[in-house]
Amino acid sequence: MKSIWKKFSRELGIIVALVILIAVFGILEPLYLTPTNLMDIVDQSVINGLLAVGITMVIITGGIDLTVGSTMAVVIVCIGNLLVGGLNPVAAILLGVLLGFVLGGLNGFLIAKMHLQPFIATLGMMSVYRGIAYLVTGGWPVLSIPQNFRTAMDGDVAGVFPSSVVILLLATSVGYVILKHTKFGTYLYAMGNNEEATRLSGVNVDFNKIIAYALCGVSTALAGMVLLAKLGTGEPTAGQGYELNAIAAAAVGGTSLAGGKGSMLGTFFGAILLQALKVGLVVLGVDTFWQYIATGVIIIVAVYLDIVQEKIKSWKFERKFAR
Amino acid sequence: MKRSVLAVVLTVVMAASVFSGCTPKQGSTSSESAGGAGAVQETETAAFNPDEEDGIEIGELRSALGAVPKLEGSVKLGAVAKAFENEYWRTLKEGYGVFQDKLQANGYDVTIDVSSAQGEGDEQGQLSIVKDMINKKYNGLLLSPISDGNLVPGVDDAKKAGIPVVNVNDGLIANSDVFVGPKAIQNGELAAEWISEKLGGTGQVAIVIGMPKAFAARQRTAGFEQYMAANATGIEIVAKQNADWDRSKAKDLADTWIKQYPDLKAIFCNNDTMALGVVEAVKSSGKDILVVGVDGIGEAYDSIRRGELDATIDSFPLYKSQIAGEVTLRLMGGQEIPRVIWTPQALIDATNVEKPAEEIIGWEEPVFEN
Repeated sequence: MKSIWKKFSRELGIIVALVILIAVFGILEPLYLTPTNLMDIVDQSVINGLLAVGITMVIITGGIDLTVGSTMAVVIVCIGNLLVGGLNPVAAILLGVLLGFVLGGLNGFLIAKMHLQPFIATLGMMSVYRGIAYLVTGGWPVLSIPQNFRTAMDGDVAGVFPSSVVILLLATSVGYVILKHTKFGTYLYAMGNNEEATRLSGVNVDFNKIIAYALCGVSTALAGMVLLAKLGTGEPTAGQGYELNAIAAAAVGGTSLAGGKGSMLGTFFGAILLQALKVGLVVLGVDTFWQYIATGVIIIVAVYLDIVQEKIKSWKFERKFAR
Repeated sequence: MKRSVLAVVLTVVMAASVFSGCTPKQGSTSSESAGGAGAVQETETAAFNPDEEDGIEIGELRSALGAVPKLEGSVKLGAVAKAFENEYWRTLKEGYGVFQDKLQANGYDVTIDVSSAQGEGDEQGQLSIVKDMINKKYNGLLLSPISDGNLVPGVDDAKKAGIPVVNVNDGLIANSDVFVGPKAIQNGELAAEWISEKLGGTGQVAIVIGMPKAFAARQRTAGFEQYMAANATGIEIVAKQNADWDRSKAKDLADTWIKQYPDLKAIFCNNDTMALGVVEAVKSSGKDILVVGVDGIGEAYDSIRRGELDATIDSFPLYKSQIAGEVTLRLMGGQEIPRVIWTPQALIDATNVEKPAEEIIGWEEPVFEN
């Protein structure tokens, strides 16, 4: 028991914040705690959660990916067009994943090989990808996405929850394993902490960086395809501003934007927390203008909780050795 | 060190965008701040409110003024739309092209160049386009500003250069010569009237709003609420929330509401994109909830034909821009033009979705000089 406690102590702050948030909304409006509403919160976290999986990896390397909203749009219109053209849904999903890998890998190439700063490189590519999404359809949406694809990405599993939730859980698990149990994951943290030292110890930093961005593209592509399935229409305007929500989810979940620190579970709960907050404010009927303030305050409080937790830890550590 | 600076910058950007609705836009306008929290509930309080002017319709104007004057020399008009990413503005552009072809077919030497800003956040870029047109000595400008204030400096320059400025819906320019557009408040009223009729005057309804930067969008909600308050007291507006004009966010809102208010009977959305997202939520709930949007985009028409979306308010941009072009030529020809020209708008539902637009709005071609 104690070992489990220790293992997830990093995510403790965010879990406590989430429980408090849900309890407060539940007291204010009991309807908030109904299973269907709670399920809705998870379901509505899927898109942001998937984006955040990839962005967490990239942020851990000390980078950032601002293209996710635009990458989503490219995947949405390209795969949407292919599906409407009669492509098999399984092939479409695989192709979508590949497209995400390539688009993300291109970001990684600019950053690793051409030495552009991640913020600037992805700021530029954000605009390029958005333009591509508009060009593919001439600005028009792709209509009537086939039902079989929609069922695959967002259908009911055993009549209980949508397959999109399964996709999020799978992606989070894979991300968790990559970060915690692979050499690649260790390299990502090492690069975020001290890139030069990592390079000098013989790690192929450039290659690993490109792969990190490519994987971010993959999770982004999955998010795009889930959105396509949920709405049944592929809009080139989709995903505008979503990158910031994803970064917020990672940050709230304890990922440091300075790199070298972060966890997949934290990000997962971060995405859920943001959506739980959004739904709570809606259920309570809070005025829109106040919602902006509440969201900002909660982000700051959640990140601060994380800092406090770190402080307590190092304080305990010091006391242990002072004796 | 560099990295920590980056972290700080990012955090600031993130926090700022959370506060501004996740779309980094700057330059809030005077009327927006004047409207404040009440802006979405009350009628606009800005200095110029076309809804309160004694506007006239194009038919009236034509019978008073006769044929469209033929101007001397070649005339170059510049039209600036908000953003072609949006179907509404592409259609408006198409209308300018149609009008130009009609003019040229009738021996008028008029060209209309249409451009737009790079997205609806590009307020400065739109101003640059206008200034460029003034420098290139265009003879008349037809402007649809992104916000109520971003083109004001350009319009001042145009006035100094003696170039007439016609303000084409939406976005307001207080110092323009003429405003051409639909009566904005009527938009929400039409939706409210239709919904209250369908529901027999009682029931719970909800509104999905988009964060409004422009006057016309603010008036949609105001018109809806005012109509219900005055004419349908049995209708209860149980919820009103913002979805940032985003289809997915609107769907999420509707998902939550449908569970929270089991007796919800109708949802009014500030545009069609959000309405189509709400339709997906209603479909998967299996409930019978009316959904009404605004704009009349092609996808909305398709959805009405399929029996999914219930209605949309179309303001016929294809004809709006033709009217705007005609009014500009009349203004330049020295005709006396009122401050506000109303353009047609109508509610489209299953009963009239197949009817040609010309028939719905009673469109007639303008009379040209020989």
